[in-house]
Amino acid sequence: MLNVLSYTCIGLGIIFWFWGTSHLLGNRSILFKLHSLSVSDTLGSMSIIIGLLIKIPSEWPLLILAIISLAIWNTVLGYVLAYCSSSGDNYERE
Amino acid sequence: MNENDLSVYVITALLPLTAFMLIFQVNPYHALVMRGILGAIAALVYAVLGAADVALTEALVGTMLAITLYAVAVRSSLVMRLGILKDLSTQGERQFEQLLDDLRIILGKRHMRLEVFPYTDMQSLDQALIEKEVHAVCSQRSQPQSDFEQDYAACENDKLCFHTAVRVQRLYEIMQAELTSPGNILTYVKPSGSKEEHS
Amino acid sequence: MNLVIMAMILALLIPIYEAWKNDEVWQRMLAFASIATKTAIMALVISVLRDDWMIGIVAVIILSVGNAALMLLAHVIKRINDVSN
Repeated sequence: MLNVLSYTCIGLGIIFWFWGTSHLLGNRSILFKLHSLSVSDTLGSMSIIIGLLIKIPSEWPLLILAIISLAIWNTVLGYVLAYCSSSGDNYERE
Repeated sequence: MNENDLSVYVITALLPLTAFMLIFQVNPYHALVMRGILGAIAALVYAVLGAADVALTEALVGTMLAITLYAVAVRSSLVMRLGILKDLSTQGERQFEQLLDDLRIILGKRHMRLEVFPYTDMQSLDQALIEKEVHAVCSQRSQPQSDFEQDYAACENDKLCFHTAVRVQRLYEIMQAELTSPGNILTYVKPSGSKEEHS
Repeated sequence: MNLVIMAMILALLIPIYEAWKNDEVWQRMLAFASIATKTAIMALVISVLRDDWMIGIVAVIILSVGNAALMLLAHVIKRINDVSN
């Protein structure tokens, strides 16, 4: 039962990864790509880590730390990238 | 370890792939981003092969420190510093902007930037060129020097005549070949420190 | 579990291809961000598979430090674009 649950979480995370990165190939604007990429990467990675946590609970401090750093850093990184790239765009447009 | 063999081989194959992508980059800034990708892949390969300390060093030094230092170095070295006079832009503003735009396009082909430094009077402008604060000076000369009298005669009719002096020989060659703005006279100023003749 | 690793490698190949094909620097930065996160998670998965604490700790450090490197690089590139235009 637990095995099935962990594989479901990992599979869900990988599906999230594919869904987010497939948007990268299109010709959409950079903010759209950033949004889909950061959301799917963060959620997918967290889902994979939760799957691993269910599968092997003995390494819980490491995995909890990974989840926390992923949640904080990827959010901040999304803001920083959006700020840097959009201000560059404004400069080009003027 | 045995059942993971195939995936280890595939992960290792990513390293030469990204390395080839890195060495075929032309733009230095794009190459820096590719170096970051190569560093991430390399850290993964080292970790998978069991060298955790090498992976940590690659991530900390190879990716973070080296890229930041190289970005700063590339940014400050791929630049042409152009000295101008402060009141020059009031007179021939449109034509001067045109000249700067042409120069930016020419330098942009070589991934260089143009920085403009305004100086207050002609004397400090010449002094800046001699003391190597700037790579080139651009000014609107009032009285023609004897060497370029026929050039000044050629552009005397439209009254807007810029004189650009360059002290870097390679920049002079590039600008002479490609900068075709009307009313601009280009000269090469030999650096005062070097005594030997450049042919 | 080998299948999971292979699927992750496939997902990793998409941003690599994107970084190779695309010419704009910010698209490449996005691909770099994606690759940095994905490689760290892959190292973490492999460490859990092998029950190896050492690789796991390194993976977590890479996960947090790689993003910091990305922010530094993003700010430097932004400054370049600001001055050159």
